[in-house]
Amino acid sequence: MLLITGFSTAVYAQKDKKANADTEAWRYELEVAGTGVQGTYLLKVWSYSKKPNVAIEQAKKNAVHGIIFKGFAGDQGILGKPPLTTNSNLEQEKDEWFKAFFADGGKYQKFVSLASDGAVAAEDRMKVGKQYKIGVLVSVNVALLRKDLEDAGIIKSLNAGF
Amino acid sequence: MKRQIIKIALLSIMILGAATSGFSQAKKPTLMVVPSDVWCNTNGYMQVYDDQGTKVKIPDYKRAFQESNDLLAVISKINGMMAERGFTVKNMESVVKTLESERAEDAVLTSKSGAGVSESPMDKLKKVAKADIIIQLTWDVLKTGPKKSVRFTLQGLDAYTDKEVATAGGTGNPSFSAETAVLLEEAVADKIDNFNAGLQRHFDDLFANGREIIIRIKKFDSWKNDLETEYGGKELNVIIEDWVRANTVKNRFSNSDATENMMLFEQVRIPLYDANGNAIDARGFTRGLQKMLAAAPYSIVNKLTAKGLGQAVIVLGEK
Repeated sequence: MLLITGFSTAVYAQKDKKANADTEAWRYELEVAGTGVQGTYLLKVWSYSKKPNVAIEQAKKNAVHGIIFKGFAGDQGILGKPPLTTNSNLEQEKDEWFKAFFADGGKYQKFVSLASDGAVAAEDRMKVGKQYKIGVLVSVNVALLRKDLEDAGIIKSLNAGF
Repeated sequence: MKRQIIKIALLSIMILGAATSGFSQAKKPTLMVVPSDVWCNTNGYMQVYDDQGTKVKIPDYKRAFQESNDLLAVISKINGMMAERGFTVKNMESVVKTLESERAEDAVLTSKSGAGVSESPMDKLKKVAKADIIIQLTWDVLKTGPKKSVRFTLQGLDAYTDKEVATAGGTGNPSFSAETAVLLEEAVADKIDNFNAGLQRHFDDLFANGREIIIRIKKFDSWKNDLETEYGGKELNVIIEDWVRANTVKNRFSNSDATENMMLFEQVRIPLYDANGNAIDARGFTRGLQKMLAAAPYSIVNKLTAKGLGQAVIVLGEK
């Protein structure tokens, strides 16, 4: 029994690791899903994993990662948004800081929530080869995230230097 | 003991001085949200007056603020969101009220000089508000059958160079049921981040390449010399141009117009701090040129005036 539990934990950990590697390799897609309330973005995040549960959990991390480094395109009536950083090398320059920030159970969780309590619509669950491509609706508190990154000296505030 | 106390006092004054110059910061630009002429015209907030036979329309800001709830709500929303990003925005309604009280003074000024003051409402606003960046606001409600959507545009205009430094706009999602006020709120929330990204690019450019200002050189009629007068074998306009070249960031400027009576320097990129680390504006920067012209061998009496942070005028020949 112990052996089986240990084995399944190890398999999940490996899937998590793979999902984290995908995030670092920008293997996810962000799609605007609506205009959030002031200071928040409402997004659909497409993540990949062999286990749907891992993809759903990874969606939160991908959403925050994408908003900081990637930005997203607009859709009918809603503008796309540029990334929070304009420094394309920021990830490498602050490597240690971001590792801790995006670690499992890291601070990124504070800024993101699953908009539909993790429920995934049938059309948002796709099998691509041996993997699942899962689309999850998330809401990200961008105002708070930006403030946190500014206070930590990771990104410049709009009034920096004045 | 006394000596030691004096030593410690001197040392702490020196440290305090160094710290103060170290923390010296560039002057923070001020912002103000203004409804555009197009919006005022579309919504009927215009005044028409007869300018020697030609009908001229000017925006009636005062009436717009008194009558449009939507305008008030949108401006206050933008003001709030900019304040969150560390920028306090000048309240245009208060500025309009100040303008009202200044109107009486202007009338006296006009009658004294004997000449009419020709200023557009925007010039007057800029003069009173002294905002560095004017956020110009335009929106209209589009209707397709029962569906409504809001077309919304924000333009950030540098008040001194009149350049558009940031912009965001677009048409929102059509809705059957939402109130216009809700659609407007949604439009502001959707556009403001992109607008601020443009503003950030402008500020980054400012820190990298210096602040952009305009310098004008003029002469009083009473002055017997002009800008083509030679000093030590060099024409005065060349001397001035050499000074500007030597003192600008990366020697960037454009001498867009020059005659014997005036010179116009545009896109003059000045450093944000002087040699002592103090923040400077157009007036502070041009004071160097004023001093050079006033000193020997030129000894030209001159007057320096400034318009806000970004424009300086030196008039040669008198104080």
